[in-house]
This record gives sequence, C-alpha cells and structure tokens, in this order.
Amino acid sequence: MKKMYFLLAVISAGFLLLANTTSFMRGKYGFVVGTPEIKSINSLAFGPDGVLFVGDSKSAMVFAIDTKDAAVTSQAPAVEIKNIDQKIAALLGTEAQNITIQDIAVNPLSKAVYCAVQHSDGTPVLFKIEGEKITAVSTKNIPFSSLALNNAPAENAKDKRGNSVRVSAISDIGFADGKVLVSGLSGQEFNSTFRSIPFPFTNKQDEATLEIYHAAHGKYETLSPIRTFTTAEINGKKYLVASYTCTPLVLFPLDELKPGTHVKGRTVAEMGSGNSPIDMVTMKKGNESFLMMANSSRPVFKVKYKSIETYQGSLTTPVEESFATAGVDFVSLPVTNVIQMDKLDDMRMILLQRRSNGSLDLWTSSERYL
Amino acid sequence: MKGIYKIFSRKKLRLYIMCGLSFFVVALPISCSKSEENNKITILWKDKRAVGISLSGKFAATLAPDSLIKLLEVRLLTSEKPVSILGEYSVENSRIIFTPLIPFTRGLHYEVSLRGQRLNLFDIPPADSADAPALLGIFPSQDSLPENLLKVYLHFSHPMREGQSGQYVVLVKNNIDTIKGAFLNLQPELWNENRTILTLWLDPGRIKRDLQPNKLLGAPLQRNAGYQLLVLAPWQDKLGGTLPKTYSKSFVTIGRDSLSPNPEYWKIVTPKTGSTQPLNIDLGESLDYSLLNETLTIRTVDDITIPGKWIIGIDEKTCQFIPGKRWLSGHYKLHIETRLEDLAGNNLNRPFDRDVTRKETKVHSEDFVEVLFQIKD
Repeated sequence: MKKMYFLLAVISAGFLLLANTTSFMRGKYGFVVGTPEIKSINSLAFGPDGVLFVGDSKSAMVFAIDTKDAAVTSQAPAVEIKNIDQKIAALLGTEAQNITIQDIAVNPLSKAVYCAVQHSDGTPVLFKIEGEKITAVSTKNIPFSSLALNNAPAENAKDKRGNSVRVSAISDIGFADGKVLVSGLSGQEFNSTFRSIPFPFTNKQDEATLEIYHAAHGKYETLSPIRTFTTAEINGKKYLVASYTCTPLVLFPLDELKPGTHVKGRTVAEMGSGNSPIDMVTMKKGNESFLMMANSSRPVFKVKYKSIETYQGSLTTPVEESFATAGVDFVSLPVTNVIQMDKLDDMRMILLQRRSNGSLDLWTSSERYL
Repeated sequence: MKGIYKIFSRKKLRLYIMCGLSFFVVALPISCSKSEENNKITILWKDKRAVGISLSGKFAATLAPDSLIKLLEVRLLTSEKPVSILGEYSVENSRIIFTPLIPFTRGLHYEVSLRGQRLNLFDIPPADSADAPALLGIFPSQDSLPENLLKVYLHFSHPMREGQSGQYVVLVKNNIDTIKGAFLNLQPELWNENRTILTLWLDPGRIKRDLQPNKLLGAPLQRNAGYQLLVLAPWQDKLGGTLPKTYSKSFVTIGRDSLSPNPEYWKIVTPKTGSTQPLNIDLGESLDYSLLNETLTIRTVDDITIPGKWIIGIDEKTCQFIPGKRWLSGHYKLHIETRLEDLAGNNLNRPFDRDVTRKETKVHSEDFVEVLFQIKD
C-alpha cells in the first residue's frame, strides 16, 4: 500500500511538473520562448504590457515580442540625440549612409524609444533609446508569438529565374481595442490589404480584410491602399484615421471594419499635392485632441479633432485650384523633413528630423506645438 | 578555470554545429609590426558577407571567455571618436570569434584592441566587380504605353539595396525634362521577398481624376509624348556591388485606357491531344506582367488544376501554358482571377477609377471568370 501511495505521489508530482513546463512553454499572450526569424523590421507599434509588434514585410509576418520593459515611468524624460544615424552606424561598425532608420515607437509604459534600423544588406537591428543611451535589443531567446499574413503567393508565380514575383509591403501597424491593425500594400494590384487581427494571435483566420474605396469628390471611385494611420475617439465613437497613397485623409468607424466588408472612408481632407503622409499620431491637451501628421514634402500638420467632428461633409465638391488643400482646417507647424514620429505622452512627441544642416536628429517636441 | 573554458568552448562548438553555419574562411594577413604579426585576424565569410573575425595569437589563450567583452574592442577606423562595435565574443579551438550585429562593411577598415592597445588592423575588401548586379528587365516591355500607366516593374539579377529608387530611377520627357515626383515615394518600397523585383507606382494621386494632385500637377505622363525611364549607376546591391551602367527604356504614350480587360475577346489556340504542345492565348492587349504570372490556371471541368508552366509572351500580349504531361482530349477551363490588371490598373471587375455618375461602368464582384475550351482528337 505504501508503495502504491509513493507511486501515486510520483505520478502527481510528474503531472505538476509537466503542467508547469507547459505554462512555461506557452506563457502570457500565447508567447513561447525562442528566437523569432525576423527578416526585416518595417513598422513598430506597442501593445499591452510592453509587447512590441514588429511588422516584417520581407517574410509577410507580424511578430509580437515581449520586451520585458513594462515598468511605468510617469515623468517621461525628453530625448535629444543629434546625428543619431552616425551614432548608431558607429555602434554597428559602419557609416551612416549604410543604414536606414525604418521606424520608431515609444513604449507607452517605460517611455523608452524603440528604433528599427536596417543595414544596406537588409539585416534588421532593433535598438532601445533611453536618454542618451542607445542599446541593441536582443531578439534571441525571448518570449514571442507570430502571425503570417494571409497572402501566400500562387505556386506558379515565379519569374524565369525562379524568383517569386509576389511584391508586397507592410505600410503601417497599430494596436487598438485589443486588435493589431495592419495596412499592407501590394506591388501588383492597386488594392488595400487592411487587416484587423485579434491579439493574442490565434490559429483561426478571424482577421478582417477590407476592401477600401476612395471616392474623389463624389465622382470617381477607386480602390485605395492605406499608407499610414492612427486611431482616435471622435464624438464618443472610435475611428481609424487613415491616409491613402493618393494623400486624402479619411475616417472609418472602427466598429464597421468587419471581415469581407466593402468600406468607403469619409474623406475629410486632401493634404496637398506632391506630398505623402509619413506618420500620424493623436495628441491631447486639456479637453482638446489633435491629429499630428508628418509629411514627405510638407511641414508637420496639426488638425483639431474638433474640426473633423464639425466637418460633416465628405469633400463632395471639386477642390478650387487656388487652394493648396481642401477639407478640414489645419495648421502647418514650423517643423519640416520629419521622417518618423511617435507620441511620448499626451502633449509631447518624439521626432526624427533631417535638419537643414543635414544632421539627422532625434528630439522631443514641447507642449507649445499643441 | 580550465574546466569552465572547456565547457564554454564545447558549448559554443555545439551551438555552431546546431546552427549549421558553414563559414568560408578566407585569411587576410595584415602585418604592421612584429607584435601584430603574432596576432592573426581571419575574416569569416558567409554568402560573400564578412560576418565575423577570428583572432588567434598568444594573447587569445590567456583571456578568460567571460572577460573578452570587457578587454577586447573591435572598432571602425575613423577620424571620429572610436566606438566599440556591438557584437558577441566566443572562443572556439583557442581562437576568439567576434560576430558583429551586422556584417562588416565592404571597403572599410577596422582595428582590434586589447585593454585599449591596438592588436591589429583588418580591411574588408570592396565587392568584386564580377559580382556586380545587372538590370534584367523593365516591365511593361512594350514601347507604346497608355498615358495612365500605373506601375513599372524592375527585375534585377541580384538582391538590391532597398530605399534607393528615389535616387536612381528617373523619368525624362522628350530627352530633356526630368519629371519630378512621377513615382510615388514609398517607404518601405515594394520588393519581392528576395529583393530582385521592385514595383514603382506612378503617383496614383496624379492619375486619379479630380484629385488635387491630378488637378494641380496633372498626370505624370501626357499623351503622344516620348519618355525615357533611366535606372542609374551606381545603385548598390545588398552586398555593396553596383550597377555598372545606366539602363534606359524609351517609350511613347498613347491614349488613356479606361476599360477593363475582357477575356471574352481573348483568342485561345488549342494544342493536339496526346502532345505536350503549349496552349497559346492571345490577350489582345498588354496586361500586367506580374499578375499574368499569378492569376491564370488551366483546370478540368471538375476543377482539377492541370500542372504546368506559364510563359509570358512578347509585350505581355500573349501567354503560353506548357503542360506538365500530355494533353488528354476533353473540355477544360481557363481560370482567370479577376484581380488581373492591364497596364492602367483596370482589373477584370472594375476600371481603375470608376465614374460613379455613369451607369454603364458597373462593378462586378466575382473572384474569377472562366473561359471554356476543348482539346480535340
């Protein structure tokens, strides 16, 4: 009998051990510990608890990695690093011309700035910036999960040399309402691949893929790829605020982004010709919220969400040629050549800017810009 | 200590075997002084990239593995204040291996120092000109193109460096005027997975009728004009090799194409039963090269896909299907995904920009269309 009890105890202990191993193997958010095969980092966004989403265009995947950087910093220190490209290049043993800063994202909890860098040979490196300190973030043996974007190429889609002809890129990623939002561009079809993916990732393909249309002044309608976006609450309703490759600024109610739907965004502004929006963030000062937008060939624009709220039209009339832009009013800030932008806290932004003297600087905007 | 060293060494060795890394080791002896002669640096190559260095010499045996990162420094030789390059140190067969986060850069010079004193120097040779990339093709290949042309594909022989097209691709009108902002400045650019095919969009904001860029700047291309698309040297590939010359494609613009391709008008020439002859399809107009490669399949009436290969013909006006096995007599379907586009972005379901005030431009929503054909005895 004693032997029996001993055997039972051993079996129970074994099960307990196994249960522990399983919970270790698949932890919070379904993460497993390992080394994600990240082939490129095009876009970064933070989710809950210091989880960083990495958009990898090359492998058409989104990775969620646990940065273990979830301690809350209430007073975010300002960051100011001049010639950041040269400093990062030196740490990598190369010259600034051989690297590209692909994206920056501020951890909303720790307020550390994460920065995706790509070497000219395509190798991606992730950095963390705290004050003046720049450190590499290791992606070896970390808790992570991943999701393959559903655009597997056709088997025969190869050129004469056997290369896949499938061309695509992740243009932006974000996190809102428990979902990872991913906008993609196809190199073949002029089409939008906007996905809303529940997080934690599951095996179920319950992501929403939308057909997004753009109506130009009530007359012409086209499919329209989204280039960059943010989310905001307007009149108590949550919206996706997006900008197309053809520059109009559009709004979509988040609750209307359902799988397989044909969604037409409400165009609220055209942001000028010969210009492409680069990054958008939503800021807040007192009771007022603002959309800040960095542009390829224009200064940073500031749009009051109140103007968007009151602008109920949808640009149904042709734009007068004498006007530079159309739709809601906005202010041009005296900041040009902003390449990347993210929110440090409600009133301050982190900007990566090419200064007029050629220096690429990372700096923190003050409240006076709002 | 010796024990720890052995365990460390074995662990690292195992790791390398596990990772299956096979380095091509090329020795690059550099001698500056007697002491430097004793401290040999070997560059470790993988896929023509300098992925690390191996250090050997008397000093290597005297250093504890866990102190390497504190004592040794690999730095870029520069006029600026030198900075330690980020990377990992390990010990393998009495040699110290340094693996930087990114490969060493072609054409740059580096130094290794121990306790702040220079041990030796090493150079990474520039890329071999024999490995230079080439531009294999520009699509569409036709030399008369619609004025509302939407995209251009560049096919390279080697994976190219990204983010450079704005600098190296130029559109010139009538050999004189460079068209500024003709292509959409996209970051990230649109590449295929191995970075050999790049898609460039002519600015859709300028092509879409009635949008502000279209009204203010006009479409990037005008009707009945001559253009040259130039792909300039020295665009670098990802290993640092450069395009050896400027490539150009000349074309003239014809009228606007606002109509969806219609497979009802395609001509199918069927092969003989029992042969492996190709099925020839005359498309009647140039269609998108990449999408032609992706959207066509041959199926039986029971929807079983016939294995085979597609070859896109001259000017993307024809295509051929070469079957993997002999044709059997019977009825077949040419299955066409409706996302197939012509050169102006009109797909089988809808034109690029649809005039919603005109009833005749209805939008279809089918995923595919099929054309039936028969292989006869």
